Amino acid sequence: MTLALDAPAARKSWRVSDPMLGFLLVLPSLLLFLGLIVYPLFQAFVLSFHDVSTLTLEGEYVGLKNYEDVLGRSEFWISFGNTVIWTVGSLIGQISLGILIALLLNTQFRGRSIARGVMLMPYMLSSVVTVMIWQWMLNDLYGVVDATLMAWGVTDMPVPWLTRMPNAMITTIMIGTWKLFPFVVITILARLQTIPEQLYEAAKIDGAGPFARFLDITLPQIKSVLLFILLLRGIWDFKEFDLIFLMTGGGPQIGTQTLPLLIYKEAFGQLHLGRGAAIAILMLIIMTIMFFIYLWYYQREEKRAAQ
Amino acid sequence: MATVRLSTLKKVFGTNAPAVDVDELKIENGEFLTLLGPSGCGKSTLLRMLAGLETPTSGRIMFDERIVNELDPAERNIAMVFQNYALYPHMTVAENVGYPLKKRGVPKDERTARIAEIAALLKIDMLLDRKPRQLSGGQQQRVALGRAMIRNPAVYLFDEPLSNLDAALRSYMRNELIRLHAKLRGTMVFVTHDQVEAMTMSTRIAVMEAGCIQQLATPDEIYERPATKFVAGFVGTPAMNFIEAEVVPDGATARIKAGDFTLDVTQPDGMTAPLQGPLTLGIRPEHILLGQGTDKAEITVVESLGNEQIITIDTGRRELVLRSTSGEKHRIGEHVTYALRPDRLHFFAADTGRRIGPN
Amino acid sequence: MMSMVVRQSARAFRVGLVWLGIFLIAMPMLWALLTSLKPKGDTLTFPVAIWPESFTFESYSTLLFDTMFVQLFLNSVVVAVGTTLLVLIVGTLGAYGLTRFKFRGAELGAATILFTYFLPSTIIVVPIYLTINQLGLSDTLTGLVLSYTTFALPFALWMLRLFFQTLPVEIEQAARVDGASRLGLFFEIVLPQALPGIIATSLFTFIIAYNEYLFSFIFINSDAKKTLPVGINFIVKTSYEIEWNIVMAASVLMTLPVLIVIVSCQRYLLSGFGVGNTKG
Repeated sequence: MTLALDAPAARKSWRVSDPMLGFLLVLPSLLLFLGLIVYPLFQAFVLSFHDVSTLTLEGEYVGLKNYEDVLGRSEFWISFGNTVIWTVGSLIGQISLGILIALLLNTQFRGRSIARGVMLMPYMLSSVVTVMIWQWMLNDLYGVVDATLMAWGVTDMPVPWLTRMPNAMITTIMIGTWKLFPFVVITILARLQTIPEQLYEAAKIDGAGPFARFLDITLPQIKSVLLFILLLRGIWDFKEFDLIFLMTGGGPQIGTQTLPLLIYKEAFGQLHLGRGAAIAILMLIIMTIMFFIYLWYYQREEKRAAQ
Repeated sequence: MATVRLSTLKKVFGTNAPAVDVDELKIENGEFLTLLGPSGCGKSTLLRMLAGLETPTSGRIMFDERIVNELDPAERNIAMVFQNYALYPHMTVAENVGYPLKKRGVPKDERTARIAEIAALLKIDMLLDRKPRQLSGGQQQRVALGRAMIRNPAVYLFDEPLSNLDAALRSYMRNELIRLHAKLRGTMVFVTHDQVEAMTMSTRIAVMEAGCIQQLATPDEIYERPATKFVAGFVGTPAMNFIEAEVVPDGATARIKAGDFTLDVTQPDGMTAPLQGPLTLGIRPEHILLGQGTDKAEITVVESLGNEQIITIDTGRRELVLRSTSGEKHRIGEHVTYALRPDRLHFFAADTGRRIGPN
Repeated sequence: MMSMVVRQSARAFRVGLVWLGIFLIAMPMLWALLTSLKPKGDTLTFPVAIWPESFTFESYSTLLFDTMFVQLFLNSVVVAVGTTLLVLIVGTLGAYGLTRFKFRGAELGAATILFTYFLPSTIIVVPIYLTINQLGLSDTLTGLVLSYTTFALPFALWMLRLFFQTLPVEIEQAARVDGASRLGLFFEIVLPQALPGIIATSLFTFIIAYNEYLFSFIFINSDAKKTLPVGINFIVKTSYEIEWNIVMAASVLMTLPVLIVIVSCQRYLLSGFGVGNTKG
């Protein structure tokens, strides 16, 4: 212990206070936020009171006219209804398929990590690829699905998967389920693996069969994560654009046209940027309500976890 | 090495009662001072203020008469050992131990030499190339110690460093720390809720409750003459027995009435006023004698430790815990007589809990 | 003994069920791969032939040498890498600032990030179109990268913040006591520990940006600047008759980088799912 050391000195010259340093670290993010999210959102708000052409980006103040136009037409309400049907339908599909697969995957077997990787794939596919594959599979002349169904004698004519209602909506929901269920699998699997094995052992000793063990142990344990998935995926599916747009383009007629598609159609199809902005604002309001439900739930769960 | 001095030090979080409120505390150069108290008593917050990780709400912290309130942790020349060791997971043991020197611009050769020296001292020289996750708890603990010792700090700060170790290792490390302190002669401040650690290692102990220091004294003094009922109850296993009593002074004696028994004791010398009124009587388990006196009780619990028995007796009014080292084996249900050693009684004011007795 | 046999066969049944499920889920992708390896004529047969008469890489060579595929792919990579770099550099600093420092508005900042994390691109597309135009960046890859930060930055900030929250604060305090400055310990102590999280976030950001459709579809007009998801559709739709073997080859090739990421970094991706949950 011969070495005497002084504290490092001469750092005092440009000392930044802690809160200041924290703020400086956040500053670049903040600037991007303000410039690319907050300002545009503000602009969308302003835009929704103007009649602006998408091509010239010029137009005049028209007050609430855009909102009146939008809310006054049945197309908005039909699209809103479609959005709800799509969201609820694909949620039911994803969650039931997701739970089933997660339970199956929650056992030790050879090749489990390969199985998990394959399971993850549809979620990671680009929507464009998903749609191209399914359009090929469902092709009315050379599609493998119709061919198989006809070979098995289920039907003797190609099924109009995407050209009739309600077929188009059902097909879209099924494809959405296929693409989006891995999220549920991974999230639930992560939760399942935290359930202590002793709980199941205790239940076995207490005489519970496999079904009772699922109802009394597994289900209560994954309940909170299920609700979380429901809210999160609910918000995300509500705004889905790519998949539906590429799959059906909203058709037949407006049979599968959801709100995001309506925004696109108004703003970039019919070049009413202002009207598109008005629908965007309306959607923002709906999403904000969903978000606050999520936030309320999230904070309640955190509080519960802290106790 | 440095003397540490705190005056009117306060830390308030939000609108709560102060987490720390210390009028005056002087830690002598080379002293091993333990801050002892239950969780939430402010001992860790006090330590973290010494480290510079928390800013005091008011008051002063001085190292050798130099105010360090405004200094960064890095500028205070302190070393700290954390409860979970806080080793840098991506660095090897050698890099961990050498990090403080690296931050002070010590050349590599000198660093390597110092690391080797410290590693040999702590018997971790064969672990130098490992990563922390490849070490056992005890080994991680030594690395954390090494990282603290490698620079000659003004003060060593320990934040419950032994609480994550298993019992055997803990007692071993206690022993090690005592040796190290004897060798390094450094000023050490040690935070713990474990009274055994405090009693065995410290030069002095500061017992804390609700942010305040209840008593600052040597381990013996704390045990023999606890300043408050809280200190008396917190230090010692099994805990001191407390009996609510009424005292009637009678000349040179005081008559203590506690419902089921009365006891005459001589008024202690040097008191400003005689013992009287309602107060709390305290008696340590080893000072209750079985088979003596005339008061009767029944044994309800016997815990045998081999060389001694911890016995709970029911007097009809209350349960008392006592320690029997006589070698006689007692059984549950046995009827016994017992007596309190009058010269070993502690008295605490019923309202404030302060010790009553000659100062 | 009996129950042992029963239990083992129940287990075998379960495992069989798992693989059947996986096969069904993988079916569309396998079918795409199979189609892409068929000669042109084989895709247009009736009834549908499951197994091709001969395997050929003809569709792949057509795609790579006779179409804009490579150009589109490069555009996609440039945009995805650009977005990932920008968002990760800015986001790592920002997320650390939000996690470890107390300053006015830090809480509000975190809540805002969460909110924008859920903000649908379909809402932002109208005004961001205007903003990108005002910046003179319409029909440029730079403009596209900037527009991608609207979803990539909140995502990265949110996920990185969750990762930083899992790091024990004592290690950073130890470094301060040992003499590191607050910024110095960020690079020396925090970043190495957060590396798995940073890798996971980068991978997800890359995949999200690489797959993005809407913004690219609306903001890019020149064929030479289109990204894969938009451009591919455009290759497919312009041909006189849809050549499904080429379309499927394009799907396979386009998915290849994502597949490589998943296979090589599954561990990181799963840990990412664990804390952050990815944007859908």
